[in-house]
Amino acid sequence: MNAPTVSAQLDVPFYQPVGSECELFEAAWRQQLPVLIKGPTGCGKTRFVAHMAARLGLPLITVSCHDDLTAADLVGRHLIGDGATYWSDGPLTRAVREGGICYLDEVVEARKDTTVVLHPLTDDRRILPIERTGEVLEASPNFMLVVSYNPGYQHVLKTLKPSTRQRFVAMSFDFPQPEVENAVVIRESGIDAARAAQLVTLAGQLRRLTGYDLDESVSTRLLVYAAKLMAAGMAPRIACRTALAEPLTDDADTLAALLAVIDTQFP
Amino acid sequence: MEDIVGGWWDRLITRAAYRGHPQAAVSLASVTRLAPPFFRAMGGDPALVLRSTVGTEHGARRSWLERVAGIGDKVELAWSDHQALYLPEKLDLFPDAALNRALYFWLMALAAEPAPPGDWLTRNRLATQRCLERMPGLAASYRQLVEALLALRTDPARLPAAEAAVEQAIRQALQHPEQEVVMPEVKRPPQPVPLWLHPAPPTGGEGGGVAGDTPADQDSEHKEREAAQKRRRYRAQRIVPEDKKDGMLMVFRAESLFTWDEYVKVNRHNDEDDDEDNAAAAEDMNKLSVAADGKTRGSRLKFDLDLPAAEYDDTPLGPGLLLPEWDWKRQRLIEDHCRLLPMRPRDASPAPLPERLLPLARRLRRQFQALAPERTRKSGETSGPDIDLDRVIRFMAERQSGQAQGEPALYQAWPPGERNLACLLLADLSLSTESWVGEAGRVIDVIKDSLLLFAEALSASGDAFGLYGFSSLKRHEVRYLLLKDFAEAFDDAARGRILALRPGYYTRMGAAIRQSARILAQQPAQRRLLLIVSDGKPNDMDHYEGRYGIEDTRQAILEARRDGVTPFCVTIDREAGDYLPHLFGSRGYVVVQRAETLPQVLTALYAQLTR
Repeated sequence: MNAPTVSAQLDVPFYQPVGSECELFEAAWRQQLPVLIKGPTGCGKTRFVAHMAARLGLPLITVSCHDDLTAADLVGRHLIGDGATYWSDGPLTRAVREGGICYLDEVVEARKDTTVVLHPLTDDRRILPIERTGEVLEASPNFMLVVSYNPGYQHVLKTLKPSTRQRFVAMSFDFPQPEVENAVVIRESGIDAARAAQLVTLAGQLRRLTGYDLDESVSTRLLVYAAKLMAAGMAPRIACRTALAEPLTDDADTLAALLAVIDTQFP
Repeated sequence: MEDIVGGWWDRLITRAAYRGHPQAAVSLASVTRLAPPFFRAMGGDPALVLRSTVGTEHGARRSWLERVAGIGDKVELAWSDHQALYLPEKLDLFPDAALNRALYFWLMALAAEPAPPGDWLTRNRLATQRCLERMPGLAASYRQLVEALLALRTDPARLPAAEAAVEQAIRQALQHPEQEVVMPEVKRPPQPVPLWLHPAPPTGGEGGGVAGDTPADQDSEHKEREAAQKRRRYRAQRIVPEDKKDGMLMVFRAESLFTWDEYVKVNRHNDEDDDEDNAAAAEDMNKLSVAADGKTRGSRLKFDLDLPAAEYDDTPLGPGLLLPEWDWKRQRLIEDHCRLLPMRPRDASPAPLPERLLPLARRLRRQFQALAPERTRKSGETSGPDIDLDRVIRFMAERQSGQAQGEPALYQAWPPGERNLACLLLADLSLSTESWVGEAGRVIDVIKDSLLLFAEALSASGDAFGLYGFSSLKRHEVRYLLLKDFAEAFDDAARGRILALRPGYYTRMGAAIRQSARILAQQPAQRRLLLIVSDGKPNDMDHYEGRYGIEDTRQAILEARRDGVTPFCVTIDREAGDYLPHLFGSRGYVVVQRAETLPQVLTALYAQLTR
């Protein structure tokens, strides 16, 4: 097995580790294991992958999956040019050929038949057969497959097929502990520690409503947005309404309740 | 004349003595919608429901005017127990409506705090301190509330020394919750503090009163407890029918701390004789004490299990159908043994979805829309609205290299998607569903909610579905309630029928399953799902008991499977593990541990089953 090589990179996107996820990821990469990351929307999955790609000095190819994503979109297609046709690699094929991390974000959104093309890449063969050109690509030693999805209950109808799921090593992400989230909010927005602490407390309060009044809870991303609005001089109450209450619900009563909760931190 | 003058005087003195501010009153109803999420967000137990409190006599000093007017002896305070959060029905303490409203939110935040140890004053002081620390935003409104409250309280200088000391301590705790205060000994209860929680909440086994209802003679905690015990004693008494027949009905209620359930245990003689008069048999169970909800002191409802007069009964549709039944002793089907009567629930008037179910219904609709058959693009069609570029290119490339097909399929079309599924939901409406499942109310209420929400979800998914309920009164009357058949739309009329359901009678499951399977078999669908929602074993008043009922039901299920129907049972019977595997197989049923989650379980389950 060719050992992957690491080249250090300078501008690594900021990621605040919560546990040993960075070491785990690196180990998985060294051992050429595909990784599955589960966690709620906006808890830092994508940022984590970007951070790790930079740390390992790997190119990162991200595909945001959607329900119209076909296998061809991942693998590649023929195009017309100059009266002739030529083959164009899809993002997955490019990563397999050249090495790097292919990150399929929200993989459950993709059509079920699409994920099947991943199967030969996720076992020890590490190959990608391309039907249309007849090629069978062997993955570069630097190639790594990472998929993510949100197992939240709103996806009761959309889950990963068990046969696909059990081909990955899986990590579970959740919203970080308050002190970590505090650090993230301060670092990303530059607001003062006091307001950041209030924001994180508020997030804790609002997250208790998940599954009762809210489908999705306040993500770290939204917290950072609220903090950024404050940093830009907006009144905290308006910033929270804009970034934390309005994006989470359209229901007038729930919105009023959220505003009452916001009032307990930022009157 | 004296009456009229007396009435005037009463109104006048009451108005003069009343200390509230009716013009600034804020009612609980105005915050009802916001209260549950707010309370949850503050860290309150999400399982609690919101109730309005009843006045409690506080025993504190009243003004001369109030004593003359006979008011001011009760105060409405907030508290929470393991069942509910109790808030005053209306707040008019302050002259400013905004303050009264702020008081509601303050009380909710305070009630959401886990109760610290200590006496009444210390508990509230510590909880207040914690709230203010965690929620700086509340601090400002708390200060205003305290200021306004102190202005309303009796000046300690005008009280006897002992009471003045207490008043001072309370004021100190209100103004500086972060400093320790010792509560002095006191004979007379201090003036109530509306910013704090109830000093001795009347925690009964059943929730608080209903708005506007004051329980009789509960003027102190002691009496309250005594009364609760009295009520409990009353409720636990055994009711024996006057005329001693063979059967006997015992009503027993276990009121535990967390929930209370009603067990209706019926001792029946095993009559193999079918021709017995229904009314006579029903005579044996003509009294049943039904849960009271704290409204009255254990009101007793009489159930009459005689056949209801036609004008009170559900409306039968036609003369009924004859269905077979399986006799396990003889191991054969007895043809035309049961009469199944299709019915419509009586008194059903079209009704919209109850408001409390709207948020959940919206969410389910959203989730289930994902199930709706989506039109997917199909490649390789000989005609269609789109050109499949990939295929065109491949075709051109092949033509250049000199090998081309005659009629290439180069188009993409969007044929309509199909899920092709029919689901029939059959709900048990027997009398046992009258029993209570803690906070959620009665089983029948949970079943009604489940039917409503399930139908909402399935309407969104676009699947064909029907809703039926059943109960039975021996083999001649298997009542089969038609709530929504496959041809009808799920509209307000169907909702009204669901809302009009009333529990009664027994559970002759076999016949109901046979009829449901027949209906399903007529549906033009590839997959047919029969979902049975039940709360217990099959049973009826005749020999349809124990083994006989189980075996007949099992036979009906086997027949349904043979006809290409997939039966699945959702039950809230904890003991279902004893008999359901035998009926549905180990993977054909699910036991819902907490009845109140039935609607969510049912819909999630449907999504899984039909993936």
